[in-house]
Amino acid sequence: MEIAQQINNFIIDNFMMGRSPEELTEDDSLLEKGIIDSTGVLELVSFIEETYGFTVEDDELVPENLDSVNKLVNYINRKRQH
Amino acid sequence: MLVHHFLEENAERFPYKDAAIQLGGRISYLELEAAANRLANTLIDLGIKSGDRVGILMESSIKYIIAYFGILKAGAIVVGLNTQSAIRNFRNTLRDCQVSGLIINKNMAHIVKEIYAALPSLNFVVSESSYSHFPKDVEVVFLLDAQLKGDPSRPAVAIKEDDIAQIIYTSGTTGSPKGVSLSHKNLYANTSSIVKYLDLKPDDRVMAILPFFYSYGNSLLLTHMYCGGSVVIDNRFAYPNIILDIMAQERVTGFSGVPSTFAILMHKSNIHNYRFEHLRYITQAGGPMSPALTQKIMEVMPHIKIFIMYGQTEASARLSYLEPDKLLEKIGSIGKAIPGVKLTVKDEKGKVCRPGEVGEIIASGDNIMVGYWNQPEETKKVLKEDGLHTGDLAKTDEDGYLYIVSRRSDMIKSGAHRISPKEIEEVLAEFPSIIESAVIGVPDKILGESLVAFIVPNGKIDTKELKKHLRLNLAVFKIPREFIQVKSLPKTSSGKIKRFELVEKYKMKAKTS
Repeated sequence: MEIAQQINNFIIDNFMMGRSPEELTEDDSLLEKGIIDSTGVLELVSFIEETYGFTVEDDELVPENLDSVNKLVNYINRKRQH
Repeated sequence: MLVHHFLEENAERFPYKDAAIQLGGRISYLELEAAANRLANTLIDLGIKSGDRVGILMESSIKYIIAYFGILKAGAIVVGLNTQSAIRNFRNTLRDCQVSGLIINKNMAHIVKEIYAALPSLNFVVSESSYSHFPKDVEVVFLLDAQLKGDPSRPAVAIKEDDIAQIIYTSGTTGSPKGVSLSHKNLYANTSSIVKYLDLKPDDRVMAILPFFYSYGNSLLLTHMYCGGSVVIDNRFAYPNIILDIMAQERVTGFSGVPSTFAILMHKSNIHNYRFEHLRYITQAGGPMSPALTQKIMEVMPHIKIFIMYGQTEASARLSYLEPDKLLEKIGSIGKAIPGVKLTVKDEKGKVCRPGEVGEIIASGDNIMVGYWNQPEETKKVLKEDGLHTGDLAKTDEDGYLYIVSRRSDMIKSGAHRISPKEIEEVLAEFPSIIESAVIGVPDKILGESLVAFIVPNGKIDTKELKKHLRLNLAVFKIPREFIQVKSLPKTSSGKIKRFELVEKYKMKAKTS
């Protein structure tokens, strides 16, 4: 499965609480849409670390890396290249 | 004094001072009061009368503050709701208090369609944005119009200090929500007491990351509106480094959090790189924080006063605090009663306990709630002649400092949330292949406690379907992290689940695996 699909599924399954999956586009801010909170981000980080086998450093915990499906995909691809 | 008088007095004392700041936007006391007046007059035009309930469905924001004071100024009762709730929670709480109107932001517009049929009392919605699915027979007014247009003068509504100002819903031990009804007098008493012991002054600026719909966040808002300080709102604590930057930029003097806030800051942020020249104090409440974490904060922020506090929504927020200079000497203590509150530890026969003896904390003072909304029987269980029976068991030391020993109720504190296991068990019981279940809180480094469900299955459980069922019926933070299938649950002779035994069983399992 593609990374975008995996991330999308994880977010819908864990944070969308009955909201329609169509409400989430790949560029939507997860924070601004009220989809994720501080513990949600930590769950997302654990999922990424377990699924893609790298550590998310404290200073990488920023919206530029994690706040939309597209940003997550780019971040994961960058990390995997290192 | 009425709660909206806080705002009115400071609009006269400091008209051009920042009352609230959010994402670079600022609103002065004068502007805030004018916007609240306009909204209040709009609500009155929509038919709101004294004592009507108006719900706020929005995250902490400048708009939330305008809505809060607008509702009070119209003589109505504020019902601030947890924006992360599941649909059935919204439905249950709003039906319980029979709201006449809702003030909502764009993220919450879709909720109206889902709950409308269950709310015959709902007459209008003040909405931040248009939405094609608003029911036709509900009047819709745009929030911006309500705040910017219309009459900016103070509405003339007769309000008494014993009138209810706000209902804050908490998870009841029975699983159904309970509306803690707080009067203007309750909130004023608690606010002025907190301002006194924190020594808050007009120069104080608090970093508000806690949601205003919970009593802790609500008290941050009210204390700063009362002292003429500023509230710096930011809902991006999901990215703690952003908050640290904002704290430095806005020169905040105070920061408040629950144990998980500090666990995240200490373990998942770059806090070591910051100096916090303007920060004067931090406060911690919302459940016990481990002494190890307290010590860690002291190491990282050696020059900052740390106030450990204890309270309940039923007490408007706060009941006790530990003075910062006693923190090391009395580590693990929740301190002593705040000004204007009396706390006594009593045994089951109602006798005052001696130092070292364990009993229940009984609280009295003007901050103690009027009761649970429309639930006289539940109110009677906790509000008795001698005060509020907190359900928390504690002892005092020889100097009168209080130490919590255990909480009598089974409530679980996870992150900033107080969760009733009963509510989750009720939702689990609705799932066809579950005979019974027990939900417990187990120690979690970040959350304080995380949720684990022990399940007695009837045949095979389709976990995917189960998770779907939970997502539809529970807020995200109420969904257990782990499910353990067992043949039976340990019970007392009267049939009560021995939750303590399950916690021990879980800890043993965690140790051996």
